[in-house]
Amino acid sequence: MVAEMKATKSDLISAECKAEIDEWVAKYPLDQKQSAVMAALRILQDDNGGYLTTELMDAVADYLEMTPMAVYEVATFYSMYELSPVGRHKICVCTNISCMLCGSDEVVAHLRKRLGIGLGETTEDGRITLKEVECLGACVDAPMCQIGRQYHLKLTPEKIDEILDQLD
Amino acid sequence: MVNIEIDGKKIHAREGSMVIEAADDAGINIPRFCYHKKLSIAANCRMCLVEVEKAAKPLPACATPVTDGMKVFTRSAKAVAAQKGVMEFLLINHPLDCPICDQGGECELQDVALTYGSDVSKYSESKRVLPSKDFGPLIGGDMTRCIHCTRCVRFGIEIAGVYELGTIGRGEHMEIGTFVQHSLSSELSGNIIDLCPVGALTSKPFRYVARAWELVQRDSVAPHDCVGSNIHVHVKGDRVVRVVPRENEEINETWLSDRDRFSYEGLNSADRVQVPMIKVEGEWQETDWETALHRAVDGLKQVGSDDIGALASPLSTLEELYLLQKLMREIGCGNIDHRLKQTDFSDQQEAPAFPWLGQAIGDLEGNDAVLLIGADLCKDQPIIGHRLRKAALSGGRISSVNPADFSYHFPRLASRVASNMLAELVAIAQALLDETGKAAPEEFATLSKAVEVTDAQKQIAESLLKGQSSSVLMGEAAINDAQFSAIRSIATLIAELSDSRPGYLPAGGNGAGAWQAGALPHRKAGGRPASVNGKNVAQMLQSEMKAYLLLNTEPEVDCADTDAARKAMQKAQFVVSLSPYASEAVMAYADVILPVSPFTETSGTFVNVEGRWQSFEGVVPPLGESRPAWKVLRVLGNLFNCDGFDFVESSEVLAEISTAAGDMGRDNSISWRCPASLGSASEYRAAADYAGDGIVRRAESLQAVAQSRV
Amino acid sequence: MNTISNYIKSLFLIELMKGLMLTGRYLFKRKITVQYPEEKTPMSPRFRGLHAQRRYANGEERCIACKLCEAVCPALAITIDMEEREDGSRRTTRYDIDLTKCIFCGFCEESCPVDAIVETRHYEYHGEVREDLYMTKEKLLAHGDKFEKQIAADRAADAKYR
Repeated sequence: MVAEMKATKSDLISAECKAEIDEWVAKYPLDQKQSAVMAALRILQDDNGGYLTTELMDAVADYLEMTPMAVYEVATFYSMYELSPVGRHKICVCTNISCMLCGSDEVVAHLRKRLGIGLGETTEDGRITLKEVECLGACVDAPMCQIGRQYHLKLTPEKIDEILDQLD
Repeated sequence: MVNIEIDGKKIHAREGSMVIEAADDAGINIPRFCYHKKLSIAANCRMCLVEVEKAAKPLPACATPVTDGMKVFTRSAKAVAAQKGVMEFLLINHPLDCPICDQGGECELQDVALTYGSDVSKYSESKRVLPSKDFGPLIGGDMTRCIHCTRCVRFGIEIAGVYELGTIGRGEHMEIGTFVQHSLSSELSGNIIDLCPVGALTSKPFRYVARAWELVQRDSVAPHDCVGSNIHVHVKGDRVVRVVPRENEEINETWLSDRDRFSYEGLNSADRVQVPMIKVEGEWQETDWETALHRAVDGLKQVGSDDIGALASPLSTLEELYLLQKLMREIGCGNIDHRLKQTDFSDQQEAPAFPWLGQAIGDLEGNDAVLLIGADLCKDQPIIGHRLRKAALSGGRISSVNPADFSYHFPRLASRVASNMLAELVAIAQALLDETGKAAPEEFATLSKAVEVTDAQKQIAESLLKGQSSSVLMGEAAINDAQFSAIRSIATLIAELSDSRPGYLPAGGNGAGAWQAGALPHRKAGGRPASVNGKNVAQMLQSEMKAYLLLNTEPEVDCADTDAARKAMQKAQFVVSLSPYASEAVMAYADVILPVSPFTETSGTFVNVEGRWQSFEGVVPPLGESRPAWKVLRVLGNLFNCDGFDFVESSEVLAEISTAAGDMGRDNSISWRCPASLGSASEYRAAADYAGDGIVRRAESLQAVAQSRV
Repeated sequence: MNTISNYIKSLFLIELMKGLMLTGRYLFKRKITVQYPEEKTPMSPRFRGLHAQRRYANGEERCIACKLCEAVCPALAITIDMEEREDGSRRTTRYDIDLTKCIFCGFCEESCPVDAIVETRHYEYHGEVREDLYMTKEKLLAHGDKFEKQIAADRAADAKYR
């Protein structure tokens, strides 16, 4: 019966995702499957429309033979994992020191005005989520933000408008 | 060994040890929160920063290994500045709610803040606040007070073996919690209360009960399992309000099982009888001791001595058990037994005189192969489980043969669930015979014909053979099995063939000691054969004796066959109950209730499963008119005009027992007796959690845990 | 010489005259005797008289059963029992001060983190039986309710020194 329960837990992961996770698992020593936890969480987050659920984290734990708590710890530690639904586009604005000195405050203010939402909120139509993040390593072109996998550098209010207009 | 100098004091330290260990050994105090000698080193609280000569920055003493010639300064200007700074940071988010915090007065943070902190805080911004967390009926979680030392998390992972608590989030948003709300399931969970240096994790039953400075700490021994964990009992006035572990590296280390920790609630239960009571024409009357004792004696005298049955709980002290059997034997009655849950007595004549663990508790962790038979360690002996977990983690290969899928907190080589454990054991024995090529003992071949040896059993046999130090342990589920005598034969055979130590894990604080006290129908104190072979528990209940004498037990719940026990009690002409409690059932069938003291109110001795005699004093005076059972039994002896009942102190009783049983051998080997058949599969009925004895059954918080697990 | 001067002093009643002069002076000075109970001496806001338990403005009792006053009391006059109230807060079930033991040192007030136990200006009380001098939680709270205005004013007046 226990075996059945286990089976249902990781059954939540689709075959494609499993294949993708397996690729990552293969990169690590056989007895260290759990090394693939971050990749697995990312894959499942993308597959699930941008956020993770407890069930998905349990599925990862089951699939990688980890304790669920260990997966929760990873998922809550890193800011790129979302634990509640987010918009189609996630705008991550860096507000760390370099960006702040170069005017990230204005960037945030403009985004808030333009989108009508605060940091950590999602527009009513579920299109955009605005998020404050720590340094993304692009200080040389501060201020910056990340949308999806794309970095947008040297932001100005005009440039932000342009970027926002291009989003679907 | 390396030579180091701490604060000018020259110290020899063990190579590879940390500065804080060397300092602790030398009696030099270094403040700490995250460091604990039994847990891995995290070095995340930074409180133990010390100055080390030639080091550019202060170093954490808990994570700095000693090196030869090292000079450490714990109170230099640099060290003190670092400690003060860390203290200030730790206090930034710690609430100033000491007046309502249960930890107030015994708080490590308070103590360290007083010594190393500054008097006024520079921090004027708002503090972090977290909602309280529900960790179940035993542990309160005021997480705002948490300083993130992660001792509780490490305890879960490393000691309890249950990764339930973790660190959620990071930075200022870091929280300790279970993420998905649920009660803690570990049976050692109460230890995180002791580990928590602040008031974040506190005892729920103790919530707002007393302040640390109001309590008197007295030593005692926990009675609920055969480990005999050492405890400190905290007393306020005449009431036991808390139990915490007393460190004993050889037994319980610094830990205590939840059952031993929280059972004290049962001591203050409303079920406690405070005055002797007698039933007159079906109505209960409170009376004085003299009347009640005379009534008991008269009632027992009215039936023939052969018609009296004495049932004693293995929770009773050695003195009580000894006096009970002495009394019964003096009046010519051999019907006395403490093996309430046992069902198979057919080999009791051949049984070892003192069935014990076969080794010291501390030696368990040195085993490299163990076969557990019917041992639900989490439920029955959590501390033994912890020792075996250590053995398993250091490479020991542990296998189990159980009637149900008992959960363990350590990896096992093989886990066999068999409704007929005997068949499984016969297969393992056969595998051992195949492996070693030794000659099978008489008649064994006929028995083993019917079983098939599988790989799993071969694997178990191989592990036991390869082990330099191996054991075969029989737990409560094996001892209480309907084919215990056969299981014992084969288990001992397995141990012999594989050169392992056979051992037993009986129920109750004196489950082992009762054999020395002679609370058995066929053996007197010291294992000497009894002149009259009395009836065992099962016989006593089935043959429906005319009178019963009950010591600390409620047979209708304590005995294996509860229905038979209830019927026997109801049919009996006369029942005397020596018990701290009177339940409705007892009130219905008993005729005399003599209120006796539980372990906290009497002096006594528990002999634990490794044969260690642990004597203790009463920590509080007996409640109401109740009296220590040894005194009651002594007076009963006088009233029966028996010789040798002139004890004034319990130590005199103890002296008499040690003369009778002090030289008892400790040999678990038995002569070979082949089981007649493989027997049949029987359905295993698991007992409810925390239902083992009267005290535990009345401990509300433990019962709430048991309820939540159903 | 000394003998002679003593003789002269006593012969002319000089000492007596000196005494009478002092008496005479005070006869015409402003009187400082107070006609108690019609008149009363001025009183410091720090006066340590009969104890009272205070409440917050919303009627909630202040005492949180931290037991510091009980611990600090040098005369062991305070007895506290506590419980977790239904709303989860820490409260006393019993707060007794035995005035026959109390030495009015004010340590209880000083140790109180929430200003719950205070000593008031009220010192004119009596008891006809011992029990009258055994202050229970109800009596203390009633006393606090009655004089809250004065108590609060006194604490405010002394605030900067506390």
